[in-house]
Amino acid sequence: MGTTAAEQPLVVARGVVKRFGDHAALKGVDLTVHRGEVVVVIGPSGSGKSTLCRTLNRLETVDGGTIEIDGQPLPAEGRELARLRADVGMVFQSFNLFAHKTVLENVTLGPVKVRRQPRAKAEQRARELLDRVGVGSQAEKLPAQLSGGQQQRVAIARALAMDPKVMLFDEPTSALDPEMINEVLDVMTGLAKDGMTMVVVTHEMGFARRAADRVVFMADGEVAEVAEPEAFFTAPSSRRAQDFLSKLLTH
Amino acid sequence: MDPVLENLDLFWGGFVRSLGIVLWAFAGSMVLGTALAVCRVSPVPVLRAVGTGYVAVVRNTPLTVVLFLFAFGIPALQVNASFYVFGVAGLVVYTAAFVCEAIRSGINAVAPGQAEAARAIGLTFGQTLTQVVLPQAVRTVVPPLGNVQIAMVKNSAVVGAFGVGGELFSVATRLTSAQGEPRLPVYLGVAAFFLLITLPAGALLARTEQRLAVAR
Amino acid sequence: MHLRRSALTAAAAASLLALTACGGGSSDTGDAPEPVESASFEAGTTMAELSQAGAITIGTKFDQPGFGLRGLGDTPEGFDVEVGKGIAAQLGLSEDQITWVEAPSSQREDLITQGSVDMVIATYTINDTRKERITFAGPYYVAGQQIMVGEAEDRLTGPDDLRANPDLKICSVNGSTPSENIREYLASPDQLVLFEVYDDCVTAMKNGQVQAMTTDNVILTGYVAENEGEFKLVGEQFTEEPYGIGITKGDTAFCEFVNGALQTMSEDGSYEEAWTSTAGEYEGTEVPTLPTADACV
Repeated sequence: MGTTAAEQPLVVARGVVKRFGDHAALKGVDLTVHRGEVVVVIGPSGSGKSTLCRTLNRLETVDGGTIEIDGQPLPAEGRELARLRADVGMVFQSFNLFAHKTVLENVTLGPVKVRRQPRAKAEQRARELLDRVGVGSQAEKLPAQLSGGQQQRVAIARALAMDPKVMLFDEPTSALDPEMINEVLDVMTGLAKDGMTMVVVTHEMGFARRAADRVVFMADGEVAEVAEPEAFFTAPSSRRAQDFLSKLLTH
Repeated sequence: MDPVLENLDLFWGGFVRSLGIVLWAFAGSMVLGTALAVCRVSPVPVLRAVGTGYVAVVRNTPLTVVLFLFAFGIPALQVNASFYVFGVAGLVVYTAAFVCEAIRSGINAVAPGQAEAARAIGLTFGQTLTQVVLPQAVRTVVPPLGNVQIAMVKNSAVVGAFGVGGELFSVATRLTSAQGEPRLPVYLGVAAFFLLITLPAGALLARTEQRLAVAR
Repeated sequence: MHLRRSALTAAAAASLLALTACGGGSSDTGDAPEPVESASFEAGTTMAELSQAGAITIGTKFDQPGFGLRGLGDTPEGFDVEVGKGIAAQLGLSEDQITWVEAPSSQREDLITQGSVDMVIATYTINDTRKERITFAGPYYVAGQQIMVGEAEDRLTGPDDLRANPDLKICSVNGSTPSENIREYLASPDQLVLFEVYDDCVTAMKNGQVQAMTTDNVILTGYVAENEGEFKLVGEQFTEEPYGIGITKGDTAFCEFVNGALQTMSEDGSYEEAWTSTAGEYEGTEVPTLPTADACV
């Protein structure tokens, strides 16, 4: 390629196609994410933005196109894929904390089982991360004893514990009560400031405006527009983005 | 109950033999059934097909046919073992299909997001199952598994007809046929000795369920 | 199924002749024993009851070649069945007045004590334990236990060789008298393999899972004949199994009647005829003579 590692994009998706039965969720999507970049994916429901996010670590298999993470094509199911997923953090809409494990165990499971870290070291680091996201005092509790906002912050700590190269956020605030949305967005904003490479699927336009380096607008399984946030929100070039934003503003 | 009391030594011998069969069949069917359940939820299509095919065939075959195939079918292929081994193996193979389905339904009852989150932090398929999915499935799996295994205990009465001598049911036949004892008390005796296996098993099951409930 | 009835009145006894004559006339089986036309019995006896009712229920084996085997037809065939027909005939009953009921080894006493059958003729060895619950008429035949092995087997020449060859397995039917008799010859209980039916023993022998099988010689003779060149009998008969006819305990009058009926069959040749047309068809069997009956107690 002739580029050095630092210049090489971290995530490259080319022509990704995904079908669910007769319905084409993704119709040939391209996406490039550079190191340290925060890309926010927005678009109406059913536009395929969540599906795109899930294909990036192969939680959804693709029916066409290629995906590379750090120069490596996504391997098929197996140990190689597991190794790659360890480097790609993921935060889900419904948190998905391990229900039978304490908060601390949720965060240490990956480092101990996947990274083979000594338990003591993993726990020390886990407590640091839990402090950082503001739930350090909840370490011994079970997920069900926490509020949604607290659970989502634990989930972010769990992903961070793996020292991922990139973090994927799949609508991380959509299942939260309004008063809890900001505590999660604040953590994410902090991460972005610290230089974490992030792909964020969200409906939070404020966050997109504030934290994004680039905004990717999707509609009907296609990327309709890619722009800097300021340009996108003030003067969207595509017709569908204009429609989408005008509907938001009337609310 | 004279026919039972007078032949208590025979009944006891039959009980010990039956208990041995049941314990082997329990251990074997749990191992094989769990392996099959893992196959059925595995990402490898061939393994899934093997698990699905196994359950479809074995679960829909009468136990006596399975036992017959072991006792007389496998030896016809020049593979030989004692009828005891064939009897236990038949019971294991038959029961494993039901164990597999009980465990699989438990796995399916665990929210899919749990497995996704496990995979997303880089756990392998095996780690995902053992660290995240199975521990959560256990609680829903215990009651149906208990039913399957208690049914197995009762099914074990059938192996006597396939050359596995000396177990409770063979003892009963011996007493009623050769010694002309009345059948009613003899079979009540058999029932009593089977309860000696199933009742403690049921109690153990209830305690396990309770402990798991508290653990949450 | 219970056939106990109140005692006969004299008037009923008079009508009996007409009734049995009708029954006899309806029989169209050529070689069946002809019902006795002038059957008449003392009021209150089992014979009188059966004769008056014009029906008898007999328990027999449905899976014993040569003695009681029900094939595709409705009624079983064999020596036991022919003996049953002979006794029924002397009650004035024709073949189609007999109801055949399967009497597996484990159920024979219960069938009699519950009154589900009037008699059991089912390769039924007379022994003392059984006599505690029922009465035996007969014996009508004395079988002897023998051992059958594969044609090439030369380690076994009789039951005494079993202990010296503990790796040899011998097969029989669970709960049968032969399976109990063989136990004293075994090196260990594991040497004995038991099934529900003798056919499984034969399959196990063909598979090489057992090397021998033991039961009454007439049954073994049947298997030797059916599987030409595969099996042979070894050694002498080492037990005597007198086959009796099981009836309600203490019915001495009926027992004596059955013994008399057997004697009549022996004298008029129907006993020999019954044998040669059934179990006697197998090669290597001899026509038996009717054994002397035991005292009815």
